[in-house]
Amino acid sequence: MKNITHNKNLKAALTLATTALFTSAQAGAAPLPSDTSSEDAWSFDSAFLYYSEADRVSAAEAIFNAKKTYSDDSILNLKLTIDALTGASANGAVAQPNVQTFTRPSGKGDYDIKAGDTPLDDTFHDTRVQFNAQWTQALAQNYTGSVGAHISKEYDYLSLGVNGNIAYDFNKKNSTISFGLSHFQDTFTPEGGIPKSFASMPVAYHDNEDKSGHEATRIGSDDDKTTSDVMVGFTQVINRNMVTQFNYSYSLVDGYLTDPFKILSLVNNSGIAQDYLYENRPDERTKQSVFAQTKYHFDEVILDVSYRYMWDDWEIDSHTVDTRFYIPLGDGSYLEPHLRFYQQTAAEFYQPFLMQGETLPEFASADYRIGEMTAYTIGLKYGMKLDGGNDLSFRLEYYSQRPESKGHSEPGALASLELYEGVDAIIAQVSYSF
Amino acid sequence: MNENRKVIVAKRPDGFCIQFDAMASACEIIVEIDDQLLANKIGKAVSEEVWRIEDKYSRYNPESLCSQINQSNGKPITIDDETFALLNFADTFYQLSDGVFDLTAGVLRKVWIFDCSDKVPSNKSIAKTMGNVGWQKVKYDDKKIILLKDMELDFGGIGKEYAVDRSLLLINALTKQPVLVNLGGDLATNAARKNGEPWQVGVEHPGFVDKKTMVVSLFKGALATSGDAKRFLLKNGKRYSHILNAKTGWPIDNAPRSITVSAPQCIQAGLLATLALMQGDNAEKFLSEQEIKHWAIR
Repeated sequence: MKNITHNKNLKAALTLATTALFTSAQAGAAPLPSDTSSEDAWSFDSAFLYYSEADRVSAAEAIFNAKKTYSDDSILNLKLTIDALTGASANGAVAQPNVQTFTRPSGKGDYDIKAGDTPLDDTFHDTRVQFNAQWTQALAQNYTGSVGAHISKEYDYLSLGVNGNIAYDFNKKNSTISFGLSHFQDTFTPEGGIPKSFASMPVAYHDNEDKSGHEATRIGSDDDKTTSDVMVGFTQVINRNMVTQFNYSYSLVDGYLTDPFKILSLVNNSGIAQDYLYENRPDERTKQSVFAQTKYHFDEVILDVSYRYMWDDWEIDSHTVDTRFYIPLGDGSYLEPHLRFYQQTAAEFYQPFLMQGETLPEFASADYRIGEMTAYTIGLKYGMKLDGGNDLSFRLEYYSQRPESKGHSEPGALASLELYEGVDAIIAQVSYSF
Repeated sequence: MNENRKVIVAKRPDGFCIQFDAMASACEIIVEIDDQLLANKIGKAVSEEVWRIEDKYSRYNPESLCSQINQSNGKPITIDDETFALLNFADTFYQLSDGVFDLTAGVLRKVWIFDCSDKVPSNKSIAKTMGNVGWQKVKYDDKKIILLKDMELDFGGIGKEYAVDRSLLLINALTKQPVLVNLGGDLATNAARKNGEPWQVGVEHPGFVDKKTMVVSLFKGALATSGDAKRFLLKNGKRYSHILNAKTGWPIDNAPRSITVSAPQCIQAGLLATLALMQGDNAEKFLSEQEIKHWAIR
């Protein structure tokens, strides 16, 4: 017999062959670990989330998710989300050295804002019920298809959506290309109707008073918008420890994109508000984004880093960096620190106020959410396995949003007032999977 | 067969012991966890996986894929990715061992019956059987296999070890706690015990009535044992071991009666142990030269 002992690389060759055996056998017909436990069974996730901005909006959200995996690996996922929002939201007007009075969005009644305070509309409360259904199944070898429907209803808002996605696995399922389409149809029926662009905020009417002043500023009771998205994605398993993903998405929003509750202060040369005008935004917006994500599995810890660059024809550019560390503590419990950084430039028509005597622009909004800003989130999640294998987790996060001046001059009184007030929020979440 | 398939989960001071029978062996999984439900889940997942592999690759089960292939009389038989991967693995090892390890060598059992008697088969009958041995005659791709009439595949040399490694993969998806999988002496663990000490494993060498069980320490990785002291023939003072050379059809001279090998994965340990036995006199030297930890009994 030829002497095999001369083959010094026997161990290495055997290791290589073994790795190939278990990676390809795993990808093949042999059942995967999760199949033995989840076959044909429902699994449920529930979460309760509390979000609170200092002095502003508070939101409580309950999420209930049910997922059923069938023996042929088809998945039905149903998700119900209920949000309750209360509190105050910035109405767009600037702070003033004197008390300001604003008409409520309904036109009925008003509210006062103290000197020096950022005007917040405290009538902000709503309940939203959202339902999503998604069906995913293998279409052919290496092809997975998914279709879904979405309905969301608020007091003054209805959103209906459908989506479809197809994914193709190749390179022994180490690579996946996906292509998705979605379409949303939203109808907005705001309290008090749709205001005319740049109309002066009317004086409030009270019980049994004449509504004609309010009605003169309205152009209708509802309006709608459509959103169409196209998404292409590529996922690549680099090696046993690393997986990366790239997405590109193109989104076209068409219709009523103005916020009927937002106004702009019209100030004179001394910076004193003379009038409040309803904002006006373009009726089309084209958004694009690229997204890259890498997950790296160290011996114990998993690092998940993602970056998104979004740009649109409103000239809003944003960068988002999101990082999570998954740190197992043994016994199925884990810690997950989370850091997120977000920065955006202002929309071209964003301006904190309008100047008296200047020609009205075609579009203007003082909504801080489309202004220049930097935001970060820092948080920690702790999860544990309960007796019986159910998962319970707690998440606590701090969110800070810092709007910044785009360089608008601040005449007179405005110079000494805070025009770009930050938002600080605490997010608390409890999740339970069973 | 299936009605005898039951899994026993018993409490131990430091966790649970899961027991079941498969592949003609007593199988045992020791888990160092407190969660009975998780232990049950592991027991269910692993036993089902081992039985699945047995049902698919056992040559004794007439329903198995292995039997289908063996009775195909040269007709193509459809195979899946898992079988393709196993055949590729066997092919690699056939090349590495220079043809000594051969999945088709099982038919030699028809002439070599190791019953401690003196019935050494004739040269003629061995030569005739050797006509049905030869991995190079097997044609396969990722969709099908073609095995010539009267040839047979025998996954016995890798099936149990493969099942050990697959079991550990399943377990790793369910828990990170220390677990030892022992399928009739072929075993593997994912981690040292919770107290930081190695697993103490009693390695039984089949057929050694007079020898005590050998105790081996294992921190991580796998152990497999090859050899059976009870299976031999004795004629004219010459001992014929059951370790057959697939290239000649004759037993290997002076092979150790049993060899236990340690390796990162069980399937590697098993193949190295078998390959070492095939080196006869040089078995221990072969393993030492490859820097492979082993225990041999002569």
